[in-house]
Amino acid sequence: MLNPLPVERWDDRAAAHLLNRAAFGATPEEIAVTKAKGLAGAVLDLVEPRVSALPFDPPDWAHPRDLRSLRQEARMAKQNGDTTKIREVRKTEADEILDLRRWWMARMATTAAPLLEKMTLFWHGHFATSVEKVKDGYWMWLQNETIRRHALANFAALTKEMSRDPAMMIYLDLPQSRREHPNENWARELMELFTVDIGNYTEQDVRESARAFTGYRLDLVTQRFWFAPNQYDAGPKTFLGRTGNFNGDDIIHFLTKQPACAQFLAKKLCRFFFEEEPSPSLINAVAERLRAHDLEIKPVLREIFSSAEFYSDRVMRAQIKSPTQFIIQSCKLLSCDLPGPRVAQNAMRQMGQILFAPPNVKGWDGGKSWISTSTLLFRNNFANYLINGDAILPPAMKRQGADVGFRGAARAAFVDEIRRNPIDVNRLVSADVRNNAQRLIANLSKRVLQSDPPSDDMAAFTNFLAARKDDSSDATVRGLLHLMMSTPLYQLT
Amino acid sequence: MSNTLHTRRKFLRTSMLGAAASWTLPVFLEKTFFALDALAADAMTQATSGRDDTILVVLQLAGGNDGLNSVVPFVDDAYHRVRPKLALPPDKILKLDSEIGLNPRLTGLKSLYDSGQLAIVQGVGYPNPNRSHFRSAEIWQTASDADRVKNEGWLGRYFDNCCRGAEPTVGVAISEQSPQAFSAKIPTGVTFSHPEQFRWKASMGADGKPLSEEEAFYRQLIGGAEEKPSLAADGNSISSLPGKFHNDATTEDFLRRTALDAQLSSDKILAIARKYKSNVPYPQTPLGASLNLIGRMIAGGLATRVYYASQGGFDTHAGQIGSHDRLMAVVNEAIAAFVADLKQQGNFERVLLMTFSEFGRRVAENANNGTDHGTAAPMFLLGGRVKPGLFGKQPSLTDLDNGDLKFNIDFRSVYASVLDNWLGAPSQLVLGRKFSTLPIV
Repeated sequence: MLNPLPVERWDDRAAAHLLNRAAFGATPEEIAVTKAKGLAGAVLDLVEPRVSALPFDPPDWAHPRDLRSLRQEARMAKQNGDTTKIREVRKTEADEILDLRRWWMARMATTAAPLLEKMTLFWHGHFATSVEKVKDGYWMWLQNETIRRHALANFAALTKEMSRDPAMMIYLDLPQSRREHPNENWARELMELFTVDIGNYTEQDVRESARAFTGYRLDLVTQRFWFAPNQYDAGPKTFLGRTGNFNGDDIIHFLTKQPACAQFLAKKLCRFFFEEEPSPSLINAVAERLRAHDLEIKPVLREIFSSAEFYSDRVMRAQIKSPTQFIIQSCKLLSCDLPGPRVAQNAMRQMGQILFAPPNVKGWDGGKSWISTSTLLFRNNFANYLINGDAILPPAMKRQGADVGFRGAARAAFVDEIRRNPIDVNRLVSADVRNNAQRLIANLSKRVLQSDPPSDDMAAFTNFLAARKDDSSDATVRGLLHLMMSTPLYQLT
Repeated sequence: MSNTLHTRRKFLRTSMLGAAASWTLPVFLEKTFFALDALAADAMTQATSGRDDTILVVLQLAGGNDGLNSVVPFVDDAYHRVRPKLALPPDKILKLDSEIGLNPRLTGLKSLYDSGQLAIVQGVGYPNPNRSHFRSAEIWQTASDADRVKNEGWLGRYFDNCCRGAEPTVGVAISEQSPQAFSAKIPTGVTFSHPEQFRWKASMGADGKPLSEEEAFYRQLIGGAEEKPSLAADGNSISSLPGKFHNDATTEDFLRRTALDAQLSSDKILAIARKYKSNVPYPQTPLGASLNLIGRMIAGGLATRVYYASQGGFDTHAGQIGSHDRLMAVVNEAIAAFVADLKQQGNFERVLLMTFSEFGRRVAENANNGTDHGTAAPMFLLGGRVKPGLFGKQPSLTDLDNGDLKFNIDFRSVYASVLDNWLGAPSQLVLGRKFSTLPIV
């Protein structure tokens, strides 16, 4: 079981930790506000955000289109040697997914319901689906919205929704599944990656359950799911030891009732919210709470965020920021705008997490796998770009979009987007703080590292300011910020 | 020098005392320690001196290279019948024997073939072929079965299993994004397209110049302040020992050590890039630039076993004749320059270059003078010590599977041959099971 956090341990550090993990980080001012709410109030605001905070307009292109006609037209034109139509289709596809990434990141950065976005990100990694195969921005957006609608609700209901989700269906070949030839891709991943994990079902279960998901179809004119009774195998199936005329929802029902399902989900939640290698006892505790709440996510998260385990020393400041967290949190701390969509997309690619394009159906491994020599240097240099703007880039890059990740997309829009002003340091520190080296370090450490720096880092910061002859110019303050954001500690959340 | 030796002895002694993990060592040095351990335990571990080991260069032809117009069955009637517009004229083919020849643009590869330095494996593929770029490339990169998803790449598993003592530069990809083939449990390998990019950059001063002080203190931060950039020409793994005492092996230590790894690798790569320039003219193409950079890294003795480069544009659904010929020329010219460079360096004997593509193309041309996604295709392997010739057999153009060639050699047999017989790594461990090998190296 999870032990409640003693009230006296609720402090700035705990409040910062809650906002790091359950949201996307916060400024010192926001942390103070959350701390003042008390633990119960702070957690409640996250799991039950005020309804008025929820509306967020969809991108203006996010509506169904008659894909069948569009694609047919493009194909016909192509057969007549005219490839402009097909290029248009592809360009629309690329533009929309770029805009969808911008839209979601903006939502993460500005929403008043950040836990909802954090959990949507969690489920996006769990029910991993890539636009590389789906090839349609509307369907990717639709899946994102469906996930968001269920993100804090019931896992079994979410899984049923995913079985009818067009993007997921395409990703795992469900529309091609026919009564005579059931496609096993979805059925296998449903068990292996979405619900119970390998070892908790047989190959026979895969084959039988694939039959239960026949008849799931997509309408390319309305872009909606429909059920084709004549393609559905209504016969008896033997699944996990039971026999009956099971349909797809029955299969999901049986799977989510397996104790292994809560166990599997608990492990994933622990890795996402606690630590990379959670102990079996922690996993068991969370699994027990999931079972007790019948896989309702919200009450379990509420207990997690109120638990002493969540605020233990081995959990706090010990998780490597995902690339998404890195960008959103950095911009929050620096009180600056998110980078332009193309710049952000390129940066995400270089750091190894492109939203809506996970590497495969297993999603992102996370943890230490985010960090290689290349991605770590990139993170440091990207922080530099956020702080100092395009001044740090060599002139050639600004001309053609070459270098630090901005090559290969040398479009005019891209070059335009790279332009960025240095941050305004006056928005972060007042003049009297700037003029005192000790106060400057303490102030910025609190903002960037959410704690006093370790003594070695402190020495490096102090020596840097001394070498700059304690001048308090914007350039020096930015240099100090960049040093802080280049510390190993900054990679942690 | 004596100072370094002293530190080194101290390191080794400290390690023996079991305190290695409590030092802020670069990851690769810690790995070196484990490698010594592993060697003692008779495990398979790879040396990377950068000076005399064999080197693999993987060249990806992204998009699905048309195998039939690369290695051409020019006497086969079926070839001319199903490709009325795209079939290459037999008199232009660079003939390898009475039935098979190379695309007319592959002149450099033809000379390598003639001089016994090119192996061509025909009809390479895998069971239940997938025709999606995304998925089929993933299958090639991870060496998985078509119906199984693996996270780690085949080279990543080589790094994980066989290179624990190596520097991060054991794998170098000239790319914007690390290839999936490199993905490993313990991230290894470095990725950059310009050496200048693989470098920590300082903030900008008011005068528009980088803050000179900042880099020094960055080095202090990550524990590399005492570290002088070590001599690039010396690819030795244990050339120097930075590090200071730290309490225990936490995630923060891992990050600090990776930062130090990055700094040391970056110093070496930049030093080599500045010092070594090739005398051989390379073509002014991105692939030419990539192979040029690899040539310089090899000349400089970077401690690397695997280099990775790629050329895109092979998805020739329409107007293939001009575009595929241009691509063949790009590949041919870059490889020819690279080979000339390596020969001049005296390193050609140490290098094996292998090409691959996610699939070949449909046997019959389509209505747009192009070809659609197909299956089996040939692979090229070239180098000073390759066993030359044609391997496998050209798949039949009439006995097809849904209009596509039937493969006769599993691509993992080629990987296994390269692992076992070129890199000296146990292929079964890396690929997860035993694949038969070919006598290509």
